[in-house]
Amino acid sequence: MSRVVKKTPSVCTDMPLNNAEVCAKLHLMKELLRSCYGPTGRLKHIRNNIGGRVTTSSSSSVLLPALSSSQPLLNLIKSSILNHISRFSDCGLFAAIFCLSLLEHVRQHELRENLAIKVNKHCLSLCTSYLQREDCACRVKVNFCSSQNLMTLAGSIISSKPACLLTEAEKHHISTMVVRAFLQTIPCSTPGPVTLGHTVTVTIVGLRVLDSAVFPGLLVEMYDPFDQTDSSSGPLRTVLFSTSLAGDLAELGDGTIEVDPDVDTDLQVLNQLLELGKQLVEDEVRLCVCQKVIHPVLQQYLRSHGVVVLERLGMALMEPLSMLAGTQPVATLHARILSTAYGRVKNLSTKQFGFKTMLHLQPEGEAAVCTMVLCHRNETMLDELKVVCQKAEHGLRLTLKEPSALLGGGCTETHLSAYVKHKLFLLLQGQQEASESAAGLGCSPAEFLLGVKVFCRSLDMVARSLEHDGGTSVIDLNHAHHWTVSAGATKEDMVGGLGLCGCGLVENSPSTKWTFLNTEYAEFCPAPLLGDSCRKPTVLDSFTAKVNALQVAVETANLVLDVRYIIEDVN
Amino acid sequence: MPPSERLRLEHVLEMVSALEAVILRSFGPEGGQVLFTRNTGQAMLSRSGTRILSALHLEHPLARMVVECVWKHSRATGDGSKTFILLLASLLRMISKAISRELGASHTYGFTEAAKAAAAPHLANKLLELASSDLDDLVAVNVVPYGFCLSLEDFTTHRLLLASFFHTRVSHVHCSYLSELTCEMLNRWKHKSDLPCVSLQFLSDNFPALHTPVSGFPVSSSRLIEGQVIHRDFATARLPNKQQPVKAAVFTNYMQPVLLGPGDVLKVGYGDGVTEQNTMVHFSAWTERSLESVIAKLQSLGVSLLLSAVKQSDAALALATQAHMSLVECVSEEELSLFMQLSGVTPVSRGCTIQAKHVAALSFCRPILLGAHRYVHVAFCEAAETCELNPCSLVICGPGEEQTDQYICAIRDAVCMLMTTWEPKHTSEAAASHGTVQSNKSPASSDMTTQSTANEPYVLKKCVLEPGCVIPAGGTFEFLLSKALLNSSLPSVSQLLANALLSVPRQIYSHSPKLFLQAQTRIMSLVQNPSNSVRLKESTSESTVDLGLESVACKCQLILAVVQCATSVLRVDTVLHAHTALHTRSKKHTNSSQDSTEDEEED
Repeated sequence: MSRVVKKTPSVCTDMPLNNAEVCAKLHLMKELLRSCYGPTGRLKHIRNNIGGRVTTSSSSSVLLPALSSSQPLLNLIKSSILNHISRFSDCGLFAAIFCLSLLEHVRQHELRENLAIKVNKHCLSLCTSYLQREDCACRVKVNFCSSQNLMTLAGSIISSKPACLLTEAEKHHISTMVVRAFLQTIPCSTPGPVTLGHTVTVTIVGLRVLDSAVFPGLLVEMYDPFDQTDSSSGPLRTVLFSTSLAGDLAELGDGTIEVDPDVDTDLQVLNQLLELGKQLVEDEVRLCVCQKVIHPVLQQYLRSHGVVVLERLGMALMEPLSMLAGTQPVATLHARILSTAYGRVKNLSTKQFGFKTMLHLQPEGEAAVCTMVLCHRNETMLDELKVVCQKAEHGLRLTLKEPSALLGGGCTETHLSAYVKHKLFLLLQGQQEASESAAGLGCSPAEFLLGVKVFCRSLDMVARSLEHDGGTSVIDLNHAHHWTVSAGATKEDMVGGLGLCGCGLVENSPSTKWTFLNTEYAEFCPAPLLGDSCRKPTVLDSFTAKVNALQVAVETANLVLDVRYIIEDVN
Repeated sequence: MPPSERLRLEHVLEMVSALEAVILRSFGPEGGQVLFTRNTGQAMLSRSGTRILSALHLEHPLARMVVECVWKHSRATGDGSKTFILLLASLLRMISKAISRELGASHTYGFTEAAKAAAAPHLANKLLELASSDLDDLVAVNVVPYGFCLSLEDFTTHRLLLASFFHTRVSHVHCSYLSELTCEMLNRWKHKSDLPCVSLQFLSDNFPALHTPVSGFPVSSSRLIEGQVIHRDFATARLPNKQQPVKAAVFTNYMQPVLLGPGDVLKVGYGDGVTEQNTMVHFSAWTERSLESVIAKLQSLGVSLLLSAVKQSDAALALATQAHMSLVECVSEEELSLFMQLSGVTPVSRGCTIQAKHVAALSFCRPILLGAHRYVHVAFCEAAETCELNPCSLVICGPGEEQTDQYICAIRDAVCMLMTTWEPKHTSEAAASHGTVQSNKSPASSDMTTQSTANEPYVLKKCVLEPGCVIPAGGTFEFLLSKALLNSSLPSVSQLLANALLSVPRQIYSHSPKLFLQAQTRIMSLVQNPSNSVRLKESTSESTVDLGLESVACKCQLILAVVQCATSVLRVDTVLHAHTALHTRSKKHTNSSQDSTEDEEED
């Protein structure tokens, strides 16, 4: 019996957002995440208090689970962001920084919580409806006829994770690979609803990044030496077992079984297995794969008849393999195997990667299965690279649902902020409407204005977080794109030498006017770029992920603003 | 002799006031959420009074008793837990004030303590008497005429009622969205012929199987989807065919026969040597063959979807795949029972007895990706018994689990609240005759209140508390009832209740006292000028937009529950701290569940 312990009363915090300690923690978290944001973000070492492995990363999906806090509000924010990441893989840091800076700005400007919640919601719906509009100037249609946009999208995701430590050439190589893998998993011929295929990732430490490659079909690690001479050519008849062939007794129920000491049950079961093996050989099976273990005698029998045997495949590879070969897994030992259950593999060959030997199974026709072999110099970087490649592939898959992308490099943020300001200005010009909408939210126009300002500043703050080397962020007063000025730049440099904006779509021209992002600037209508501009954006973000991140950030901030009381169970 | 603690009214009041202070943070239109963490570290968000109070882990036995009362009340009606504490605190305050005034007037210094101790339970008893005998009639005569009934055809009134309910339970920005969603769900599940109670009861019984929480998306992605979501993935890799209709069978047991039950003994190889008939291999071959015959039978019936309550064997899985069937394993009991109710099939218990009655026809069956999980989405063909229903399930999205949990609780409580609102009155017969008697005799005698004679024609029709009666929110009920209590000829204790009631609207308008006075004047002027009562009803369409609606039945139950709780709290005079650790705990539970708390014992 467990010990009965009296429960201690809970610890309560009244009005947590007015509490200096809580605010300091929120600020600390914001600064920590800000310093990781973007391609030049700083890396973080993570290690636990008893030593063990050290992880180096700047990615939110690694950092956030490692940050444990006793402050429930922080955990609330953290879990919201992690949920977003698990659905969309991308834009986690964006959501976290935006949410935390909204909270901080609301506090700095001493807005009433309920008012801030309503204004945030209002601004969010302005932004999301603008982003969905056809004439949205920060959205780019993804063209599937060329790989240009896909490459840019994958490249942006990969270069936003500096912990992979890739050179330019390596970045290019990896993004090409990711796009190729993505394209291979889209089945071409099937009509009706499409089921996307699989990319299996294999990691190898110690090789150069440029040795990484994508192969159609599957690469399976080999435990036994494989004699390549005999049976590797021509289409191979394949059978796939999902049950153990090790000679275990069948499950007959919970009762007791009494066996006469003279009877050798093992032998009987083995005979049964060999019977099965005979059938396989008769049916001209050339490749026999089992999810679990195969009895050594059966293995020997099959090998001696020229059948290639693969055992201990594991659950994860079962579905890709049955997709690749068109087999149906078999789990019966007594019944005859139907001919429809067999599948075919075009070719078998071995591939050598460092000290690892892999068996390469090639599909006969068009199969949406491919294997990505990732190589890197050490394990930490390889882990990060694997995470990043999976994120990039997920990002590409999201474009299938919504074929759009958003301008990266902070340009979407500054553009949205300018747009929201402009909308508000139009509203204030028609005074009547403004006071109406303010009254609808239950506040005065001045309070409404302040609320919108807080929202825009927080968006600008996210764009400014991209710069870590002491440079300053500026915004042009024409298209409202985001530019960075390096630390040592003078006034003259600014006029002539800024080059391209954050996303690479706008070129510097002498007539462009700038203002610093952290200053007040007069509102203006962000002009759309002319359609015939031959420039292509060099940085793109996933549309679906970013829109969701924006919504999740605002909703989480609203939630935190709405919390008036915290009760902590300390038992 | 265990240590004891004498309870005085001041202590009780102090303790209830402390609870009130916590509750006030999330009460009313300006109220916010409360975040709490469990001892497991899991966070929860809530504006529900019950959840907040139970999360406090209070130590004082009286406080725990109060929390228990709140919990019981809100489980029955789904609503009013915060108002409960508010009313209780203000009622106790009124009682304490009344006693000190009385004692101050009578100058009996010598016996103050004893008199004081006796006075409070005495007052409380009187109040309880008043509430249980006269409250229903008072409400029927003085409040109901200003309310109206929810309409079954048009769901706008339902939406208003739900919106004001959600205003007290979730963040303000999502109220209207949630109430639209809930209304739509009620509308789709509505039986045309039956009372609303029946479909509400069905919803509340099957709610666990009817919703899916999805975290990581904004709340505005919440939606209704046709048919039922089975919260499991296909065990077979192959997806069901596109043919229509999809035929499905439900298994509650293993498809592969279990040869040996627990305790059975199988003897292998004894007797006349080893033959083909007498080996282990033979038995396992037999089970495989019977499994094959089950699959063949299913194939001949055209079944392509199998739902199973248990995990089937590998062989069953592989054979089903080869027969182009999809298998869904480990479906929970609730979901299976809902599936069977909606499709009208009986489950297969033994593989060899499959008949046509075990096969359900579905209009489609496909995988659906909700958040991180892939589930099975089925929709039902329009059979004779379900044609009036439009089965649908609810997908609730939120950035985190805390939020989806909160919304799910709120919706479940909303259904409970609607059930209380629509609950048929068992005493309606008696109340109706009572009401007519009163209004018949009222022209002659001045016994009834003056305004009831004045608005005669209306009262005649509408002095019974009908199911589905609602009234504009924002304190209307409290203003009207307190006015009626003050004007009635009931015993003087009714004054206490009347004053206590007013504390509720006072808290609602706590951010601006001006609004409180305005609201009071507006409602009082309506009462003074009874011909307006019909106009109040008609003008609700505009005024309720900002006020919302609330259920009269819930309010009545709430007042009764508060008075009961106050009585039982005041009757306790001593707390005994017993030291025997375990069995007193169970005794405590039986005690409080009977509400007869003469003495509270606490370990």
